[in-house]
Amino acid sequence: MKRYGTLGTVGWQILICAVVLSVWQWGYDLRTKLPWLVPDLLDPYFISKPSMIFDNFLIQSCLTSKLGAFNGWFNGEFGKCLARNENNLWAATAITLKNTFFGFVTGVVSGFAAGLILGRSDRLSAIFQPFITAVNSIPRIALAPIIVLAFGIGDMSKIVTSWIVVVFLVFFNTFEGARSIDEGFTNAARLLGASEWQITRTVVIPSTMAWVFASLTPAISFALIGVIVGEFIGAERGIGRLIIESEARGEASGMMVAVVVLMLVGVVLSAIIWRLQAYLLRWQRQRSAE
Amino acid sequence: MSALETSAIVSPRASADRRVEVKGLSKSFQLAKTTIEAVRDVTFDVRRGEFVALLGPSGSGKSTVLNMIASLIRPTGGEILIDGRRVVAGKATPNVGYVFQRDTLFPWRTVGDNIGYGLELSGVPASERKARIAECVAQAGLKGFEHAYPSALSGGMRQRAALMRTLIVEPQILLMDEPFGALDTHTKIDMHEVLLRIWEREQQTVLFVTHDLGEALTLADRIILFSARPGRIKDMFTVDFDRPRDAVKVRETPHYAELFQHIWHSLGEEFVKGRST
Repeated sequence: MKRYGTLGTVGWQILICAVVLSVWQWGYDLRTKLPWLVPDLLDPYFISKPSMIFDNFLIQSCLTSKLGAFNGWFNGEFGKCLARNENNLWAATAITLKNTFFGFVTGVVSGFAAGLILGRSDRLSAIFQPFITAVNSIPRIALAPIIVLAFGIGDMSKIVTSWIVVVFLVFFNTFEGARSIDEGFTNAARLLGASEWQITRTVVIPSTMAWVFASLTPAISFALIGVIVGEFIGAERGIGRLIIESEARGEASGMMVAVVVLMLVGVVLSAIIWRLQAYLLRWQRQRSAE
Repeated sequence: MSALETSAIVSPRASADRRVEVKGLSKSFQLAKTTIEAVRDVTFDVRRGEFVALLGPSGSGKSTVLNMIASLIRPTGGEILIDGRRVVAGKATPNVGYVFQRDTLFPWRTVGDNIGYGLELSGVPASERKARIAECVAQAGLKGFEHAYPSALSGGMRQRAALMRTLIVEPQILLMDEPFGALDTHTKIDMHEVLLRIWEREQQTVLFVTHDLGEALTLADRIILFSARPGRIKDMFTVDFDRPRDAVKVRETPHYAELFQHIWHSLGEEFVKGRST
């Protein structure tokens, strides 16, 4: 075993956070004394400050009033504040999450199905191969304005943008997985009397699962990217819309609040996938006792 | 009356007694631009309940012959009949079980679920399946490992589980492709014991591919010796040790040594030829 010194891994992680946040918070104040040390980029006008971001978070989420006083839970101030702004932080997060979820699920299901069918059929994969390569060469985000034009500024355009970035990722992984199935497994199943459908269900799908899961963590980030880009281009609600509004006001802390929320959302979604994978692919974890 | 009897005895019984008929079988592979002749004109029969070993050096086409009988490979010439019906490549023949050289247990199923796989395919209800799995697990000495995944098992345990996955559907013909080839000597002899006991009870017709002469002598009624590539039948030997056999004790008899020496020389020639091609 390697020794990691007196500070454990967690200790280092806390230290790194503390250093980065401190530089962010107080770094620009050093400019008066040491102008050559501090780059312009640290200007809170551009990147805000942790304390300002936190204050802004409390305001945007209606936990405090704009003056900094806490909104009471029971006097209705919180509710009134939410009602005043239909794209408050909570509503924006909910709408972005909802669209991400639908984009992700439709992308995974259709990518998986297409990957499985083409992966198991040499003929179909030969026919579709040039089209898939061509469409895959398009940077999907470039399609977002067209999608918003076609589907409007409502939820549908966000779901479609999200779907289109997710579907290829899952498709290619499933396709590779379905191609690389150990022939010994399919032969064993066939000789035990399995029909083609039974082989698909009991051999092809389980052994492709490891490949599919490898694509799901990036897929969930991609789904979120798709929704945010869609919201940048045209939306009435959502976290992407919040960022655009704050940018229009030249309000860095408002944008940073949205970014931090997105980060948290991304972490939580990845963690869910990771737990699901650990359960469904539990057979991969037991290693030989020999 | 007597004429009727004779005719009834001669032809139908002769064919009913032959479970597997291999007629003029040959197979060539296309590798890059050269054609490789793996098997040339192989003909033999296997009687009901007979244990036949296909013995030869690697590259002698014995596994190819077995895989053609199993319907995994399409022959280039000749035909195979099982119980009088022609084997069609790509279509599993009912009543035929196959044990692979490399255990092909599904890593995503527990040992118990692997063993019960064949029953699951044919829709045997869960309660009956459970009872039969428990029986097979006990027989294979795998008690306590039903819920483990194959990756947690040793090579010998995995091969026993794979054997049980094949046997649980009670095939009457058993095709085995060097099933114990990857095991150490002691585990191998244990497996011979397991297999002999099962075979004595169930009396399946067995075709067993191996390059290990000792293994062939321990198990088989008859040894078919294959020549180096292209694979042809070079010779056949009857192995007439008493049944039931003890996998360890049979090796200590003088008759075993005699037979071993007799076949060893012939087999050795083919190993040398196989090396030079």
